[in-house]
Amino acid sequence: MVIKSPQDFGAGILFILFGAIGLYVGSDLNFGSARNMGPGYFPMIICSLIVLIGLIVTAKSLSLEGPPIERIQFRPILFILLAIAAFGLLIAEVGAVISSILLILFAAYARRNVNLIETVVFAVGTAAFVVIIFVYALGQPMPVWWGR
Amino acid sequence: MEVFDHLATGFMAAGTLENLLFCLIGTILGTLIGVLPGIGPIPALAILLPITFGLDPLSSLIMLAGIYYGAQYGGSTTSILVNMPGEASSVVTCIEGHQMARRGRAGAALAIAALGSFFAGCVGTVFIAAFGPPLSAIAQQFNSPDYFALMLLGLVMAIVLAHGSVLKAVAMVLMGLLLGLVGTDINTGLTRYTFGLNGLWEGIDFLPLVLGLFGIVEIIRNLETPPPPRETISTRLRDLWPTRKEIREAYPAALRGTGLGSLLGILPGGGAVLASFASYTLEKKISKTPRKFGTGAVEGVAGPESANNAAAQTSFIPLLTLGIPSNPIMAIMMGAMIIQGIQPGAAVMTTRPDLFWGMVASMWIGNLMLVIINLPMIGIWVKLLSVPYRLLYPAILLFCAIGVYSTSTEPFMMVLMIVFTVFGYILYKLGCEPAPMVLGFILGPLMEENLRRSLVISRGDPMIFLDRPISATLLVATVLMIGLIVFPQFRKTREEAFQEE
Repeated sequence: MVIKSPQDFGAGILFILFGAIGLYVGSDLNFGSARNMGPGYFPMIICSLIVLIGLIVTAKSLSLEGPPIERIQFRPILFILLAIAAFGLLIAEVGAVISSILLILFAAYARRNVNLIETVVFAVGTAAFVVIIFVYALGQPMPVWWGR
Repeated sequence: MEVFDHLATGFMAAGTLENLLFCLIGTILGTLIGVLPGIGPIPALAILLPITFGLDPLSSLIMLAGIYYGAQYGGSTTSILVNMPGEASSVVTCIEGHQMARRGRAGAALAIAALGSFFAGCVGTVFIAAFGPPLSAIAQQFNSPDYFALMLLGLVMAIVLAHGSVLKAVAMVLMGLLLGLVGTDINTGLTRYTFGLNGLWEGIDFLPLVLGLFGIVEIIRNLETPPPPRETISTRLRDLWPTRKEIREAYPAALRGTGLGSLLGILPGGGAVLASFASYTLEKKISKTPRKFGTGAVEGVAGPESANNAAAQTSFIPLLTLGIPSNPIMAIMMGAMIIQGIQPGAAVMTTRPDLFWGMVASMWIGNLMLVIINLPMIGIWVKLLSVPYRLLYPAILLFCAIGVYSTSTEPFMMVLMIVFTVFGYILYKLGCEPAPMVLGFILGPLMEENLRRSLVISRGDPMIFLDRPISATLLVATVLMIGLIVFPQFRKTREEAFQEE
């Protein structure tokens, strides 16, 4: 077995997995009948179709040439996710100002060759801007500093 | 004339100082984000969605519509000056507009695009005002089977128009449908696919989903493969006016584009992208000098630019009269309306006429504002292109995070956003375009409910879909569309059309 189109092969496997999980998790939902559709009726049909398409896409990827999967670069996605996670975890504790600054610092390191001074200045400025816009101008309920 | 009474109501509602201000802010912010290369209306709307939540429904819809037009408009500016389409519907503008710019006619191309869009916007507004009420009267006759058939047609059209592989687009739509079903089943009260998480009881939240799939994945993509250094063409204000010859070439094309766009916008699955491609093809076909295309044909800017703006407006018609979004952008609009507590549909026009007509009127106002803020201020937008990406993306990311937090302080929302970022990233690596998924996500619960109701009425007999004339017609159209995908001749044209990008 030779995979001729890695992208499509991956996509096919993803569809099969997605559909199969849907079928498995939804298996205890009542299917019902056409006359009286149960909560499982529509999802089961959809999941079966997803699995079917996954099988076709996978099969085609073995016979037709296609593009390779580009190399995954870990730096960007890791730092971006880290930035969001830090913000989400900390905002309730330390407030919008500090969590915004942290988000920008983490996000900046998604690139190489970070100019730390520029980034810190930019982070502080943006945090101030965001607090003025969102908290004072738009009145969003958000702690500005820790403990309100 | 009744139409003008309605429009008067609308202008009264939209013409308050406050709403004018929100319209202006919306168009400016939309242009601001839309000008950035690589960011089209979908990520622009997703990123800016949260700031509209604090407003009352009308103001927020006005602002969102402004953001949409602004983003689309900004995309054209970028295409002409930098040859980087921000979104699919300005791809064709890129072809001719950038060539015009290279010949030193950048100002003229921008002016033609702006004026053509404005003209199309005016016609589109009248179109909605004239056809909204009769269409919503037709909508009253729509029954569950008809709705189901219409949504099916819309999804199939979305698949036809999606980039890349048809099969993958089908899978995207189906996955979207399933994601839309997560949460409490309205019929039985049972929770489905919640994996025991309380945060999913009311379904997957719309905002973390779109922000993850479109906003944040876009950032990661740009970081992984930085866009090539771009050659910006500078433009001087005094070059802004098109010559008489250019105007003579442009206006018939703008008229045709407007007509074509208005019609294509109403169709299920139609919208700005379809309209601009169709208009470009039409102009190339009927031109006496088809050779000029590709070297900066004025018609190739005027036609598609008018068409995409006309379609952007008329594609609101199915959403506002039938409550069914016809493309992914309208799906985002619908998501925003639902968050505001408005269920789009024929009822809006009768129960909240100020809302409906106010929004229609604001579209015209928004278009006028766009011309005003774009033509004289073009230099400012071009400057924006020189803001380094290393500063831009952390700010956009912060916007996304604050947006999600301001709608719900649950940390779970951030988790959802992270999950959908990872999911969107995997899809990107596997060459799957996630736009059709949003349409499926919004339509999932609606489709299930209408299918269920139809089959209850017919006691389980699927023939009900063929017995009713409306649904039968829609299903025939659906089958024809599926035929087109399978039919090799058309498939080739479709692939060629997307090849030009």
